[in-house]
Amino acid sequence: MIEFRNVNKTYNTGTEAVKNANFRIEKGEFAFLIGASGSGKSTLIKLILKEEEPSSGSIIINGKDTTFLKQNRVPYLRRSMGVVFQDFRLLPDKTVYENVAFAMYIVKATPKHIRRQVPMVLSLVGLSEKSKMYPNELSGGEQQRVALARALVNNPSMIIADEPTGNLDPDTAWEIMNLLNDINLRGTTVVVATHAKDIVDKMNKRVITIKDGNIIRDEKGGYDSEI
Amino acid sequence: MRFNIIGYFCKEGFRNTLKNKKSTSASLIVMCFTMLIFGVFFMIGENINNVMEQIESAQGIQVFINTDVSDEEVTQIGIDLKEISGINTITYVSKEDALNQMKEKFKDRQDLLTGLEENNIFPASYVVTLTDLNESSKVQDEIKNVVGDRLKKLTSKDETVSALIRIANGIRIVTGVILAFLIIISVVIISNTIKLTVHARRKEISIMKYVGATNSFIRWPFIIEGIIIGIIAGIASILIVAIIYNIISQKIVASPVISSMNISLLSFGQMFNLIVIVYLLLGVGIGIIGSSISMRKYLEV
Ligand SMILES: Nc1ncnc2c1ncn2[C@@H]1O[C@H](COP(=O)(O)OP(=O)(O)O)[C@@H](O)[C@H]1O
Ligand SMILES: [Mg+2]
Repeated sequence: MIEFRNVNKTYNTGTEAVKNANFRIEKGEFAFLIGASGSGKSTLIKLILKEEEPSSGSIIINGKDTTFLKQNRVPYLRRSMGVVFQDFRLLPDKTVYENVAFAMYIVKATPKHIRRQVPMVLSLVGLSEKSKMYPNELSGGEQQRVALARALVNNPSMIIADEPTGNLDPDTAWEIMNLLNDINLRGTTVVVATHAKDIVDKMNKRVITIKDGNIIRDEKGGYDSEI
Repeated sequence: MRFNIIGYFCKEGFRNTLKNKKSTSASLIVMCFTMLIFGVFFMIGENINNVMEQIESAQGIQVFINTDVSDEEVTQIGIDLKEISGINTITYVSKEDALNQMKEKFKDRQDLLTGLEENNIFPASYVVTLTDLNESSKVQDEIKNVVGDRLKKLTSKDETVSALIRIANGIRIVTGVILAFLIIISVVIISNTIKLTVHARRKEISIMKYVGATNSFIRWPFIIEGIIIGIIAGIASILIVAIIYNIISQKIVASPVISSMNISLLSFGQMFNLIVIVYLLLGVGIGIIGSSISMRKYLEV
């Protein structure tokens, strides 16, 4: 569960990236975050991840106000969310398996748990066959699946994706979105910032529209033509 | 499970060390240099302390008692001297002992000593050795106080000893200043080396942060990188110092001046433990501080 209450974010440069945002994404929900480039989508996501601090207002994640969360607690907050980016962010010198296992090392999972969990998520994203390959041997879509597997492997309660299909061709983009939908159907909250108009239109999910930092529309359905 | 994580940290640490061969070598050279300079001064200092002890134990302070003082009083003086703090051993040299020593010394000229058996003019004395040479003048004052006007005279190797103390203290100060300076340089160089690895791995670090790695988890491989460089530098320095020391100390002991003074230098083995501890502490310390400094900027994601 993610809740924004009167959240403002003004960067040091004076840019007001988010203005008085109020919304609530329930547990198990699938929500798109759409808007033109520079409208504040990434800032909103960084606020959820506590990579940026709100200038005012409060952000509640899984029932906990993170506004005054101590810096040394932030890693534990992030373990409740799996993050996916447009540029995949895989480690080039590690195999597919190692890239995913890496996320488990970090949370100090047992080797036994790692050996069981990694093949399971790799099969979930359809990459069981490629676990020994390196990222540069994979297509963009496959790389994004690895990133998705890594985001999922520690069983987060939500997946946060910032333009996950931005670097992919339409067909591959659909595969990734369908995968995110499958993950959502298994009970994980999914928040996706995106540009992909036709996908948003067809998937018929909740759409939060942001324009120049203001949330101008928040309803189920398609892309609004006004932006 | 913990073992596995430590293995992971060490593996990453070694990988870091090997990745930046050039800057790792630069750090190694600077750290070895620091340790070698420190080692030289440290060993000179240790040897001077050792020489001082040898001189002191060979020749303590000799307290001569006036000949008109009665035997009972001389015994009492011995008891009083024992009370003075800073005194290690007290040896009594009676008038007869003193005469015998003289006879021994002038074996060939017994004529000089005739008649002294009946009228022994040599004073009784106490030979006092000290626990700490630095206390010499203080103990001498105390002795003068205790013996009072029964004191005939007091001899000591004061000049030699105080010259050595001055040298030893000088070396300590110089060592301290040079060491502080070199440590700062080492920390800066090693932190730059690690900064390179941190920079090369900033993507990995940011991924780790997104997945929820704690700062200490992220820091460990880099700290281990620093420790590895420190330990390698320490081991290399010990080997170099041992070889150089053995060559030089043999030369010194063989030189005519030193051999005539009958002074022995410490063997490297006698200083080995201390040097190992000091070098490892230096290496590990510099490594940890250097890597912590280099990490600060990157942990703020
Ligand atoms: N770190 C930053 N410092 C200053 N301004 C920023 C920073 N990040 C983003 N911005 C500005 O905030 C606005 C929103 O950016 P962003 O959240 O990245 O939008 P989007 O993801 O929708 O393209 C833009 O005007 C951008 O220039
Ligand atoms: Mg963006």
